[in-house]
Amino acid sequence: MEKAQDKRVRVFFTGVGGQGTLTATTLLARTALDAGLTVLAGEVHGMAQRGGVVESVMLLGGWRSPKLDLGEADVLLGFEPLETLRALPYLRQGGAVFSSSDVLPPLSVSLGKTPYPDMPHIEEETKQVAGQYRFVPCRELGAQAGSVQSGNTVLLSVVCASGILPIGVDALEAAIKRHLPPKLQAVNLKALELGKEWLAR
Amino acid sequence: MSDNPLLCGARGERHLLLGNEAIVRGALEAGVHMISCYPGTPSSEVPDTFYHLGGDNRYRIEYSINEKVAMEVAAGAALGGAMSLVTMKHVGLNVAADPLFTSVYTGLPGGMVVLTADDPGCHSSQNEQDNRNYARFAMLPCFEPASAQEAKDMTREAFRLARELQQPVMLRTTTRVSHLRGPVTFDSLPVPQPKIPFTRDPGRFVPVPAVALRRHEALRDIMERARRIAEDSPFNTLHEPQSPTRLGIIVSGVARDYLADALVTGGWEERVRVLELGMSWPLPYERLATFLRSCERVLVLEEGAPLLEQDVRALVQRYGLSTKLEGKNDSLTELAEYSTTLVVRRLAAWLETSCPPLSTRPVNKELPGRPPNLCPGCSHRAVYYAARQVFGDDAVYSSDIGCYTLGLLPPLRTADFLVCMGSSVSAGSGFARASNKQVVAFIGDSTFFHSGMTGLANAVFNKHDILLVILDNGTTAMTGHQPNPGMLQEQLGAGNTHMDIEAIVRAMGVQECVKVHAYNVRSVIKAMDSLKSKTGVRVLIAEEPCVLYARRQLKKTSPQVAEVVQQGPEAMRCLEQLACPAFYREGENLAVDPSLCSGCMVCLQVAPKAFKARKR
Repeated sequence: MEKAQDKRVRVFFTGVGGQGTLTATTLLARTALDAGLTVLAGEVHGMAQRGGVVESVMLLGGWRSPKLDLGEADVLLGFEPLETLRALPYLRQGGAVFSSSDVLPPLSVSLGKTPYPDMPHIEEETKQVAGQYRFVPCRELGAQAGSVQSGNTVLLSVVCASGILPIGVDALEAAIKRHLPPKLQAVNLKALELGKEWLAR
Repeated sequence: MSDNPLLCGARGERHLLLGNEAIVRGALEAGVHMISCYPGTPSSEVPDTFYHLGGDNRYRIEYSINEKVAMEVAAGAALGGAMSLVTMKHVGLNVAADPLFTSVYTGLPGGMVVLTADDPGCHSSQNEQDNRNYARFAMLPCFEPASAQEAKDMTREAFRLARELQQPVMLRTTTRVSHLRGPVTFDSLPVPQPKIPFTRDPGRFVPVPAVALRRHEALRDIMERARRIAEDSPFNTLHEPQSPTRLGIIVSGVARDYLADALVTGGWEERVRVLELGMSWPLPYERLATFLRSCERVLVLEEGAPLLEQDVRALVQRYGLSTKLEGKNDSLTELAEYSTTLVVRRLAAWLETSCPPLSTRPVNKELPGRPPNLCPGCSHRAVYYAARQVFGDDAVYSSDIGCYTLGLLPPLRTADFLVCMGSSVSAGSGFARASNKQVVAFIGDSTFFHSGMTGLANAVFNKHDILLVILDNGTTAMTGHQPNPGMLQEQLGAGNTHMDIEAIVRAMGVQECVKVHAYNVRSVIKAMDSLKSKTGVRVLIAEEPCVLYARRQLKKTSPQVAEVVQQGPEAMRCLEQLACPAFYREGENLAVDPSLCSGCMVCLQVAPKAFKARKR
């Protein structure tokens, strides 16, 4: 069952290999499908997972192309601030950015060879493109919920609560209950609540 | 019985599936009996899904030694009457080309579908070859899905056609199609198809020259039948706008998706007629000719090589049409992937209309990158460090395909050239003979079985001078830990037999063969030193399970992590020479991230004063 008034939205996800970016993408796509929306997601596996950048997309409302080009995304979901900065050109002017504020330094930064861009700079660059943006302390809220990993659910909860997608927090809640293994549900439902509260604050 | 919807989902159910999972469902709906493969991104999730589903007595799946063997097994199964599927990445089809080109001559009564997953954009490959060429070259029908639903439906249709024609049929995806996720509405899941009893017919199945010539002629007739099927295939569709237009687009593959979105973006849906080719070989040329006749101008859109374009140009010439044809140009080339934006630009120019505003913000190339890297605790790092210590820049390093290709990165720099799977030993042999340089070749266990063994046999036979280091991490790591003969018997289970690499190497006649534990840096260095002083074919087997595999499958984790106990030049030298991703700088100091440290303790051996082990 697809709604005739399906809103066309293109979401670009970016993160670091091992963070769970693809799992988050799949969960949100399943949420959309359960909500009766027309959905397509795209991802790239392989080399990217060896500590590299992981990018994926979710398209709502009938888009067919499993890949986004620069300037095509309505929403950018960043699971790491440097990757959010790197992916900014994929956002259309006036789009929305929701990003974790938790830094995962790349090797060249860890080894002291290059500096990590500072947060005010990242926010300033984001402001140039985004109509709205939020940097979310996902790790802290995830830890509060019971596991750092559930920080991804915090971010999904924030974007759903923002109203930018035709997917509400209630739909995400239903998807968590339906698609996550039982032992992970309590933590992720708590993370969902914390994300919602954080945005409302 | 599995409760996975792929195996128990009923007709009409709708699930979000990866393109590759949809192929699995399509093959099950077709009634497949036998799947063989060699894993390779972006094809791997097809066999892996079959493997993890278990089969439920519906099918048998095997990870073959390499793609050629996989195709021969699948071809043999189809000769034996089974419906078979063989899967590989695009370059794998080069390995499997030999059985492919002859099995189209004999035909395969059970029906065989060949999945080739191409990788335009080289996301995880050494080239971007366009395997639609093989459909033309070897002469077999080809389907090109562009959505998850089509991936399922076309797979089923490919099997139906393979059985109807008794011929191999190609299913060609690209990375984006294999790795998209979309809704798929299921059809019913019948019991597997009946097997076709084999009837001896050497005049068909044994292609000695006289037979082969006749079969080539038969193949031509079969492809003509396939062409007539393509003329009416529901996967080849015409989209007509409300009001007539003389502007037409012929499009195939994933370019169909980019075109659909580009037409929406530009608001041009009513300006063009579109002929979409999902069954893209053999070409339905009558249908194409009718389309061409009714258009003044036609644009051909296809990612990759200009194959469709060349064929359509030939049709225009053959029929003496005046249709003005355009295809690839400087803005839409045969390189890399297409995108909606690229197609929008091309369409705007072709339609002679203004282009909707598109982003001009470039990607910032100055930001610190995240190149793929060997994992913290990867045993390859220890071996590469040792090789650098023993050989430095005096040796030339012949690399191979796997995680260990990442040894090319500084500071390890242990990959100087690479040709293809299995080439480390053979290309290294040739290099050494031509250059008189010391060559050290690196190969993984799965790649050794894939095609390194033949190179090693050749090296022994032809008395080459090479040191081959077999990086045996006990699994096929790069593509997701698929089984290979080097894997431990208890991991393989009852369905497979473990094969001992050292015994194989020795049986081939290698006199100088040493086996070490990769994490034991001193013993690796000692072995390399000793083998360095010798000549001829020498093999060093460095064993240590892949750190991810050890953690996830073998459930082995070290109770200890490394920590820095003394800052200074020794710690910094270790950072510079080992560059473990678990290291990080705190101002002038070095530290180890305990959440990343695997406890391999290689750094303790490299810089004993700087590091010490502590409880996790």
